[in-house]
Amino acid sequence: MMKAASTTKVHWAGIEVHLLAERAVWWPSAKTLFIADLHLGKAATYRALGQPVPGGTTHENLARLSALISHHAPQKIIFLGDFLHAAAARTADVLAMLDEWRALHAEVKMTLVRGNHDSRAGDPPSRLRIDVVDEPYLEGPFALCHYPQQHNTHFVLAGHVHPVCRLSGRGRDSLRMPCFVSEARQATLPAFGEFTGGWLVCDQPGRRLYPVGGEAVWCLPATDV
Amino acid sequence: MNNDPKHHPMQNQKHRIKHELEVWFAERSWKPFKFQKEVWQAIAQGESGLLHATTGAGKTYAVWLGALISFGAEAQSKTTSKHPTATTKNNASNRVLSAKQAPSTSLPPPLTVLWITPMRALAADTLRALQQPLDFLNQRMLINGDSAATFSADAAAWSVGARSGDTATAERNAQNKRLPTVLVTTPESLSVLLSRADAREALGSVKMVVVDEWHELLGNKRGVQTQLAIARLRHWNSKLQIFGMSATLGNLQEAMHTLLGHYGGSLIQGQVPKKLVIDTLLPKQVERFPWGGHLGLTMLPQVIEEIDKSTTTLVFTNTRSQSEIWYQALINARPDWAGLVALHHGSLDRGVREWVEAGLKSGELKAVVCTSSLDLGVDFLPVERVLQIGSPKGVARLLQRAGRSGHAPGRPSRITLVPTHSLEIVEGAAARTAVAAGQIEARSSPSQPLDVLVQHLVTVALGGGFVANHLLAEVRSTAAYANLSQDNWEWALNFVRQGGASLSAYPDYKRVVPDEEGIWRVPDQRLARRHRMNIGTIVSDASMAVQYLGGAKIGTVEESFAARLKLGDCFLFGGRLLELVRIHDMTAWVRRASGKRPAVPRWNGGRMPLSTTLADAVIAQLALAGAGEGDGTGNSRDQDDGEGRYDSPELKSLRPLLKLQQAWSALPTPQTLLAEALKTREGWHLFVYPFAGRHVHLGLANLIAWRMAQHAPRTFSIAVNDYGFELLSATEVDWVMLLPMVLTVAHNHIAEAQEAQTHDDEHTALLHEVLASLNASELAQRRFREIARVSGLIFQSFPGENRSSKQLQASSSLFYEVFRKYDPANRLLLQAEQELLANELEINRLLASLARIGTLQLVLKILVRPTPFSFPLMVERLREKLSNENLADRIARMVAELEKAAGGSTTTDNIAATERVKDSLVFGGDGNSGGKGNATNNDGNGLREGRSARDIRGRGRRERKPTKPSKPSKPLPSL
Repeated sequence: MMKAASTTKVHWAGIEVHLLAERAVWWPSAKTLFIADLHLGKAATYRALGQPVPGGTTHENLARLSALISHHAPQKIIFLGDFLHAAAARTADVLAMLDEWRALHAEVKMTLVRGNHDSRAGDPPSRLRIDVVDEPYLEGPFALCHYPQQHNTHFVLAGHVHPVCRLSGRGRDSLRMPCFVSEARQATLPAFGEFTGGWLVCDQPGRRLYPVGGEAVWCLPATDV
Repeated sequence: MNNDPKHHPMQNQKHRIKHELEVWFAERSWKPFKFQKEVWQAIAQGESGLLHATTGAGKTYAVWLGALISFGAEAQSKTTSKHPTATTKNNASNRVLSAKQAPSTSLPPPLTVLWITPMRALAADTLRALQQPLDFLNQRMLINGDSAATFSADAAAWSVGARSGDTATAERNAQNKRLPTVLVTTPESLSVLLSRADAREALGSVKMVVVDEWHELLGNKRGVQTQLAIARLRHWNSKLQIFGMSATLGNLQEAMHTLLGHYGGSLIQGQVPKKLVIDTLLPKQVERFPWGGHLGLTMLPQVIEEIDKSTTTLVFTNTRSQSEIWYQALINARPDWAGLVALHHGSLDRGVREWVEAGLKSGELKAVVCTSSLDLGVDFLPVERVLQIGSPKGVARLLQRAGRSGHAPGRPSRITLVPTHSLEIVEGAAARTAVAAGQIEARSSPSQPLDVLVQHLVTVALGGGFVANHLLAEVRSTAAYANLSQDNWEWALNFVRQGGASLSAYPDYKRVVPDEEGIWRVPDQRLARRHRMNIGTIVSDASMAVQYLGGAKIGTVEESFAARLKLGDCFLFGGRLLELVRIHDMTAWVRRASGKRPAVPRWNGGRMPLSTTLADAVIAQLALAGAGEGDGTGNSRDQDDGEGRYDSPELKSLRPLLKLQQAWSALPTPQTLLAEALKTREGWHLFVYPFAGRHVHLGLANLIAWRMAQHAPRTFSIAVNDYGFELLSATEVDWVMLLPMVLTVAHNHIAEAQEAQTHDDEHTALLHEVLASLNASELAQRRFREIARVSGLIFQSFPGENRSSKQLQASSSLFYEVFRKYDPANRLLLQAEQELLANELEINRLLASLARIGTLQLVLKILVRPTPFSFPLMVERLREKLSNENLADRIARMVAELEKAAGGSTTTDNIAATERVKDSLVFGGDGNSGGKGNATNNDGNGLREGRSARDIRGRGRRERKPTKPSKPSKPLPSL
């Protein structure tokens, strides 16, 4: 059966981490928060390309992030890539919102592991005081990356694919939910950002899925080998 | 007619063309039909109209020759007036249709007739048909010319051309410079022409629009697009004539009104169809406990016999997977037919389909197993017979398919129904009665779809721009938007201008904006280009090409299906067993395989509901059988008493089943609603038979379950088919008391809230209830994919972007979520909900059913055991839960038990029955139950868990847990 809780505790690389319903990972002993695929300014990018996407997603993203920070009081936040969506996302509005948000959490140390979107969008402005590094960025037992991959010595935490899974009920009932994915030596985080979409992950032996929905993280049973 | 050439040169020319065309007819030993003359006259009088007839009845020449007679001379007279040197003394009548008498500088007359066809594939054949009389006229002009010098040898005065997605670039470029006099095109290509900056110049000369196969367009968004395009042309030429051609429909006046945009017009009945034979291939032995889904393969030997007897046969199936299975079964049974029997469906590569069509035309093929892909299109003269496997679903559809046969002179059209389960046998008799009584389904235009309007706004803004008020009047001149509210109009304008009603919600976004003079235009060239490439309302399923390793492309499969396949898995496609080697670049690379068990591709679609017209005819038949047998309570057990009427061969063969149904329960009649309650080890069952089609039944079942849950918390399992539905509860339900209460149109508390209920209120109240009873948002989200695509939120393809259709789907759901959260008032969301209700849940039919149920006498029977009617519903539900192996065993056991209870008159060897059931399940049952060899669905775990959590809760008996992951949930009807 599924178990649901707003937080699901798992052990990765022998360390207890919490999978949060806010689509983030909390590492309590290191007071560190992992966030993947924020894609700030994506809606603005689309609008600039002539696609009508309503505004508000970036504001919402930052508000959710602030709520997380207030709740857990992290010392450090590590972004697993794709912080800004594109060069066109660096609109005055988006940057102003970012400045304001950073000022609210001035004491928190922030690091961004560069993702494919960051390479094109460019690093966040230095005044935001976000350290920018390339993958893999080693921290404790973890290798923090953007792309899912294997690492010789460390357990990989990655983003990039925006994993989602599909649960189907009887008849026409079916639900698509963002999920955490864990395997023996690596785990993938769902995209934190609003308006990010997803890539359907299938269940398979050796893989565990933790869908997020209804303000809870669920734990699907392991597939028989 | 005044024939004085000096005073009325044009009249004279018209007369001359008419005469020549009559000669052309006579040379072919044709005699103009009455309806053809009527059409010629109507067109000559400047009228618009609709011509309805079966295919192959000479519709094309009725309209085409009418256009030639009326406009051939006019176009000519205009052209000649541009070349005064050529006019004066020459015999005017000889120059009819020839613009070439002036030196090479002269051009064919400008675009005069637009010929719209729903199928690209039809364009070439239409073009050929149109060319013939033109060639003749040119020839005659040469022969009869007083002065040979008047004509050049290649005197093709009226130029003819086609424009569709298939048109070659060179021809397209030439057309961009100057369009031919007659252009055969599709609704999509016409819209692309309307988006040209010089649209008015290029299309303003059109005098007549001909819409072929209007019944195909009428009921969908392509038809709405056509209506809007015609309104545009009429805006430029107020005298524009419009002529439609249509198969017979139940609402021809409405069909004509929708096409013309105004009342009036000539509705002309074509040649009365030649003899039509509708019969049924009756099984040797009728199963008294039918269960849906063995695809009728038990009928294979008889089908082979029938094919053997005829020269050429079309075997229609309802789904692509069913056609694959039947083709395979035919070839396995008759290996000598390899090369003589072919397969045709929409997923096969165009080359393959064209090869099959050519073989049909030439008569080389003995039989073709096909889907709706051959419903339309050119006539295949050699086709003698049509077999329909499974329910025809509707009378119009049956007529359309029947019309594919018997084109050779003196031969009747003949369609033979091949039932896939016993109850379908009634449909043959029902359809025959309905056709005889002229009962055919109606088809209506969608009502003001905002996505099509939004697309049209951008199209018109590109095609020279528009003044908002003028365009509103033009749009309202169409039937689809006649009642467009100012609100909706302004919303659509705002949407293309700034994304939504509030400017702040969509900063930086501008697609269409009014310039200083108030003319709305598209300022961004990149957006303009992208829009032109995405015009249209056809949104195909996300699909992936299937190609041999280092070889030919053979077609496409659903991407969702391909994604489930593992490398090395086999599947049946194009009549061959293929092994998946790899997936790369949106292509499934395959090689031939053998020996392994096939996994059949599951295409969406094919879950079309039974039409009301046919369902009513079915009830009428059942009532005939039940007539005179009392009310089915007590004395009906005495089966020799009060004989019902079993006139038709179909009813005769069904008699054992119907007798049993009547003895154990009752037969439905037009005045009663039959319901049955049964207690089994599984729980408390309720069966209801409204005969309203599966969509309505799904809505009704969910609605009743939801209403019941308002009384007391309860969980139901639901099963539906075209005849009725089942609700199964683990706890006791007093249906005798509760059913009448929950079957009302509006639910109690809603009724109380609204004292004076109008029809609209009822409708709205029901709408909310249905949405509440279903997981509507997920369903609406799927619907939104098409809307997002049509309204230009997402793009199918754009050079350099190389997005797969899959990504489009993902982003449409993404858009849906974002809109719901950040712009919930967006009217496209509302449209998605409305389309879901209208098309997939058939809300109007649901409402009509409920209203009708209110007038019927409820006959609720308490059963001792399942009846012939309820049994298929029980199986339908079971197949969702059990693997095939278990299912076969269980069905066979249940059938045996029931047969025993029914007196065991049918010889039932239990083991043989099991084998038979298993055999027919090998192929996976109508693409709905996962075959054993089917791709393992890894979501299965979540699915099973989800189910047990949701609906098995509290059930008395534990479900057997399948050892393999079970199949995914039923696919939705195609979107």
